[in-house]
Amino acid sequence: MRVLWFILSPLIALAVGLFFLGLSRRIMARIHWRYGPPLYQPLIDILRQFTQKSVSHGRLFDIGIVLSLAGSIVLIEFLPFGGVCPMSSSGGMLVILYVMLLMPLGVALSGGEAANPNTSIGISRNLILAMGYELPLLLVLLALMTRYETISIVEIVSAQREAGPAFVSFPLVLSGVAYLLILPAVLGVRPFEVVQAPQEIASGPVAEYGGPYLALVTIQHALSLFIGTSLFVNLLWGGASNPVVLILKMLVVFVLVLFVNASFPRLRVEQAVRYLWRWPSLAALAGLILVATIGR
Amino acid sequence: MDRNELMKWIKAPAKMAHKYSLNAVYFCTGCGIIEVPPTITSRWDAERFGVVPSATPRHANLFLITGYVSVKTLRAIIRTYEQMPEPKYTVGFGSCTINGGMYWDSYNTIKRLDKYIPIDGYIAGCMPRPEAIFVAVTHLWTLIDKDMADGYKRYRKNYAAYRANQEMVLGKLEWPPLFPKETGTGTADGAAMAMDVASHTTGRTG
Amino acid sequence: MILGLLLTVAFGGALLTYLLGKVSSKLRDWFAVLVSLALVALVVSLYGKTLSFPFYEGFLGMPLTLRVDGLSWLFAVSASAIGLLSVVFSLGYMKGKDRTSFYYSMLLLVNAAMLGVVLSGDLLALFVFWEIMSWSTFLLISYNGGPALTAGMKYFVMSFVGSLAMLAGVLTLHGSFGTLEFGGVAAGMSSASPGYVLAILVLFGVAFWTKNAIWPFHAWLPPAHSEAPSPFSAVLSGILIKMGVYGFLLLSFVLVGLKSFVSLGGGSVPFHTVLSVVGAITILLPTFIAIFQTDAKRLLAWSTVAQAGYIILGISFATSLSVAGGVLHFLSHAVFKALLFMVVGAVEYRTGGVRDLDSLGGLIKRMPVTFVVAVIGVCGLIGVPLTNGFVSKWLIYKTLILERSPFLAFAALFGTWGTILYGYKFLHNIFLGQLPQRYEDMERAPFSMVLPMTILSVVVVLFGVLPGIPLSVVDTIGVSFGFESLDVSLWGLASDSGALNTVNILVAVLVGFVVVWSVFRSGARGARVDQSDSYAAGAAVPTDRYQYSVRFYAPLRGMVAPYLKDLVDSFYVRLAGWVGGLGDGLRRVYTGYVGDYVMYIVLFLAALIFIQTTWSPW
Repeated sequence: MRVLWFILSPLIALAVGLFFLGLSRRIMARIHWRYGPPLYQPLIDILRQFTQKSVSHGRLFDIGIVLSLAGSIVLIEFLPFGGVCPMSSSGGMLVILYVMLLMPLGVALSGGEAANPNTSIGISRNLILAMGYELPLLLVLLALMTRYETISIVEIVSAQREAGPAFVSFPLVLSGVAYLLILPAVLGVRPFEVVQAPQEIASGPVAEYGGPYLALVTIQHALSLFIGTSLFVNLLWGGASNPVVLILKMLVVFVLVLFVNASFPRLRVEQAVRYLWRWPSLAALAGLILVATIGR
Repeated sequence: MDRNELMKWIKAPAKMAHKYSLNAVYFCTGCGIIEVPPTITSRWDAERFGVVPSATPRHANLFLITGYVSVKTLRAIIRTYEQMPEPKYTVGFGSCTINGGMYWDSYNTIKRLDKYIPIDGYIAGCMPRPEAIFVAVTHLWTLIDKDMADGYKRYRKNYAAYRANQEMVLGKLEWPPLFPKETGTGTADGAAMAMDVASHTTGRTG
Repeated sequence: MILGLLLTVAFGGALLTYLLGKVSSKLRDWFAVLVSLALVALVVSLYGKTLSFPFYEGFLGMPLTLRVDGLSWLFAVSASAIGLLSVVFSLGYMKGKDRTSFYYSMLLLVNAAMLGVVLSGDLLALFVFWEIMSWSTFLLISYNGGPALTAGMKYFVMSFVGSLAMLAGVLTLHGSFGTLEFGGVAAGMSSASPGYVLAILVLFGVAFWTKNAIWPFHAWLPPAHSEAPSPFSAVLSGILIKMGVYGFLLLSFVLVGLKSFVSLGGGSVPFHTVLSVVGAITILLPTFIAIFQTDAKRLLAWSTVAQAGYIILGISFATSLSVAGGVLHFLSHAVFKALLFMVVGAVEYRTGGVRDLDSLGGLIKRMPVTFVVAVIGVCGLIGVPLTNGFVSKWLIYKTLILERSPFLAFAALFGTWGTILYGYKFLHNIFLGQLPQRYEDMERAPFSMVLPMTILSVVVVLFGVLPGIPLSVVDTIGVSFGFESLDVSLWGLASDSGALNTVNILVAVLVGFVVVWSVFRSGARGARVDQSDSYAAGAAVPTDRYQYSVRFYAPLRGMVAPYLKDLVDSFYVRLAGWVGGLGDGLRRVYTGYVGDYVMYIVLFLAALIFIQTTWSPW
């Protein structure tokens, strides 16, 4: 049974992620008072990209994007999937935090090999933005791990099943607010869409990707949407006891983030980091101090 | 629009995907670009057809040349076209790409863009309205269905002739030939192109 | 017996190398490698043994003893291994330079002194070998002359202050307990008053923390490590710094003892917590300084300061997991930092001494093997899972979180993100991006350089995938200090509050990679293009001007740089200025004119007579 979930969870994650991508385009279109593409448009895009014959800048160019996507798939195995967590006994939150590194690292390596300043600028912005949201995110995660006295995400989920979702429980409400404030940055939507700014740096790290590479990038984007929302729901909204409820909760969170995406322009990277290191970090720090001093 | 017909997807998935996912890199060189923002925004929503703008040629499969092409921008057009992945489709907007249009007697514009890069279709007008753009997209779908949108294959086959044309206008090109091995111009198409080389920028139709 | 043989081979080898160099340079090179290899073999043969050996009686009336146990063995094997690899690396790097006999003999002398430090059995031997290590290091740092000499002097002065503090500590201990042997001192310390213990800790600590470059004693490290020759920088950052770690471990857990160490401190703040906070500051501040460096070696040097913070944080936190993490991080850092310095050395060698990050780029196309090992080194530095850096950091994070120190855990975790930033900048500005035209015909790194780098990168991955190998050694050290044993298996750590299982991660990553690769290859294959066929908005790529490396993190700089002034360093510089001014003022008394001296004598005699006649004290 467990082995089946190893294979099934990335596939379900991919389906959900692609659905989220399509949904995002549809909802954004409706907010703009237009119709928008059909919900299965990302599938069409991926199929078209797979059948295009593009260019490669070297072996690292190929390996980097594959490594990034492999990292996403491994990361999905670590996340609780509504009652099942395929790789639950291999290091907990800390491993999740560090496997999450493989995704930008892979794109950074192959983007660097593309020998294009647009990709290099995009990667430097990606890393700076990541450091920007990691400050409050680490404070939130540490508050959670200290409160529930564990480093395993499965235990955090099961603790919430008994005690209620974390973001309404007293010491963690500030951490929940902080995480909500940085969630658009984690998912890479406006106002923190600076990494793949199409008009400014020609799509940033993915500027030189064509054909199958772009297909992998689209899949990677879909999976990272899944990972970002799933992490939030598991950590602060109590996870779920079956996958359907989990996906429904993720849908609610994602639509909320989409409304933020529709309302804001794109911030510059130093504005984004200045924002992220100000109020969300203060809220997260206050939450951590509360948890550390008040205790259980 | 046959996007909903599942059997067609199963029979020819690549073709259907190329029809309904057109990423356009548009060349904002001429006045035609003014018609593109209305097309892709709320009033005439191109995204419901699957047409989205793309920032780099590497992501694109549709090239829109919106307006007149001067010699300087021809260089950029050729480079952009060559950097697109195959299969790729080119559409010329407006009469300037067909026969020079309003600038038919200028010393600095290109009268027949088809000599330098292959064009799959033209949209007549000065400038075409967004509705004309949508009609063009549906015509492009028909061409793709019938395998007639093969500009990129023509480019590959007759590359030597195209390059000769390009070098005649632009002088020495800074980039090496895209298809160094394809030297065959053994079709009538190629011969006709080679003969056109002599009479291109004199301003008077040739 | 074998300990005496080891040190004889080490010191004798250093001397003989210099003499052989006068005869033939090839003979000297091979002899140096042979001596290092012999040392490694001898040290490895000491595994698991606990020996003690008085090797010299009657040094100022005290015996000098050598001893080996788990802790010494680990440090000795690291020192000799990295020494060997750096000697092999120097074979290629030092070709064509001058005074190479001096270089090799000094390198071997530093190696020998380090072995002496870790194998010494009493504090006097430790001090003697410590001093030999310090000045031979100074000689080798200033090998290149010019700015290297200034850097060497800065190192020497700071190290000298530390040595004086250590001497004061040694004398105090001898005065209190009469013996300097570790056993005797430990027995004496267990019954000493906490104030005395604290004073001894601080005295010795100044020496060890200066060598370990903990903030605020770090100011000598960045110039010294960047100006030294690269193979020696590898030894410096890799293992010489860690002599401070060895001293600190010896002091806290062997001499002072675990119980006293943990309970030291005035009031509610234990001393080891203060040290942990200092370690946390050492992680954060130098990491951010490293992000904005433009010299590759200086970036790595600041990175060394930051990683030393992890080690001190782990050790000072004094739980079984954290000490294991700290000691393991010493080992991991030695491996990947030596590797990274060797990478810079290889790049310097092939580009003719260029290590400026703003002017390199694209070297992956000419030095692919160097790039692969550099990526592995940087991944180890960051702590990507499946590298040894990850295992040691995981241990430290876990214990910090579970022991309810979330702020220290935050410092450690956030430091890793800074590490990612400067690690990527290092890789990108040297190896990725556009290759400048002047390096188009560059050759690959020679085999004598590739070999040590490859060995080190294999160790990085091996100890990451099979962490049980180093962890079992580290565990015995922890047990000898009095901590409880960790549940170590070959693949990781099993415990009830979250286990680490690296084989799962490895298998998952491999399977994921294979699956994605096969999906990727089912699509159309891309045509291979040159770097000049890159998106440039329709223009041709301008040669040598299409690389984004200068001011790589410029948006962050405006925000963070005002807070990054190294106040400690400017304080030291100002202090040195004052002392210099004082000395300058004193110097002016000696005018060199005999008449002035006669006047001083006459004035002094007149003052004496005046005092005698007025108050007649004598």
